[in-house]
Amino acid sequence: MRCLLIIAAGALIAACSTAQAPESSASDQQGIPRAADGKPDFTGVWAGPGFVHTGNPDTDKPQVRLYTEANMAPIKPGARERLYRPYAKNVLIDDPTAVCLPNGLTRQIPSPYAQQWIQTPTQLVILYEYMHFFRVIPFGPPNRPHAPDVEPTYMGDSIAWWEDDTLVIDTIGLKEWMLDAYHAEDGGSRWHSDQMHVVERLRLTDAMNASYEVTIDDPAIFERPWVEKWSMQRKPSWKILENVCEDNNRCIAGNCTPADVQLSSASQ
Amino acid sequence: MTRARMTCAAACALLTALPAAAHHSFATEYDRTKPVSVTGTVRKVEWRNPHIWFYVDVKDDRGRVTTWGFSGAPPAFLQRQGIPSSVLKVGDTVRVDGFRARDGSNNASGGKVTFADGRSVFTASPEDVRPN
Repeated sequence: MRCLLIIAAGALIAACSTAQAPESSASDQQGIPRAADGKPDFTGVWAGPGFVHTGNPDTDKPQVRLYTEANMAPIKPGARERLYRPYAKNVLIDDPTAVCLPNGLTRQIPSPYAQQWIQTPTQLVILYEYMHFFRVIPFGPPNRPHAPDVEPTYMGDSIAWWEDDTLVIDTIGLKEWMLDAYHAEDGGSRWHSDQMHVVERLRLTDAMNASYEVTIDDPAIFERPWVEKWSMQRKPSWKILENVCEDNNRCIAGNCTPADVQLSSASQ
Repeated sequence: MTRARMTCAAACALLTALPAAAHHSFATEYDRTKPVSVTGTVRKVEWRNPHIWFYVDVKDDRGRVTTWGFSGAPPAFLQRQGIPSSVLKVGDTVRVDGFRARDGSNNASGGKVTFADGRSVFTASPEDVRPN
């Protein structure tokens, strides 16, 4: 585990040290910033799909987005209970983030927190503000196989390639986890299986905006892959901020113990 | 535009966000059928992740003091809406409108804070039910 962390940290540092600053990008005739290798340059801080984009470089409106039921493919017979988990009064089923467990990839994508992208010719690094998650994604030939020994994780194993000016990120190796932030008030939680395959397709539509298509391919639950179409917007004035979930997590799942509330904290 | 007005304008922008959950579920923790409105003195402010908390001492007719705890938005949400941690100061007299915790404790979602001079800010998460 320690070895993996060291490798990940090393990759992160290497990527950051060679990253192209957005200010140094050249723009093409459509105003699309281009990296030194001529690829569309996604480097920068972004308000992802978890915001209602204002166009204002300083502000944006955070809003968790859920995957849209109308966009979903038909559910396989008997698989509905794998997708929808009834409210169980168990935080590990109803919402594991309430005890600071991770979003997982499919919920992280539309999380209402900033994210910083660092693009180099060989890899893409995404730093998520929420819970400090990161992805180090190697570029390579299209549709190449993933490593054969991928272990299931919250964020999975991602690889990337270019299809003309479209950035494609292909992810497998996701453990069975929440699909999104669907909650008890919506009727329960929503989950995906460990057969989940996610394809993200991104395209810069101008200097400030990108289209963000997410293909959900979960053959254990759905009859066929289906697509959610979102967007993200650059926020040049933003920085990703510290987000330590464990710092002051209170009243987990509505249970406010004396240790959580005013008797212990306000009197200090 | 004064800083106070800017703060209020930025805070009011929070109002237009639609319900959805960020870190926790409002419905799991708070009861939208039990609105709370208290006036008192800010006792403590915890501008920390994953959600801010602040505490208000409320004195009743007999002079007995009850401390209420209010949970608000994540600090990043407020910072990006132009609401700094200094907006709430220990000793300020405030009215807080929110919704009571389901466990019946003196905790609530701290949706709206109104100061003695009439200014108000919305400290709630966008997913929280918004008090009037």
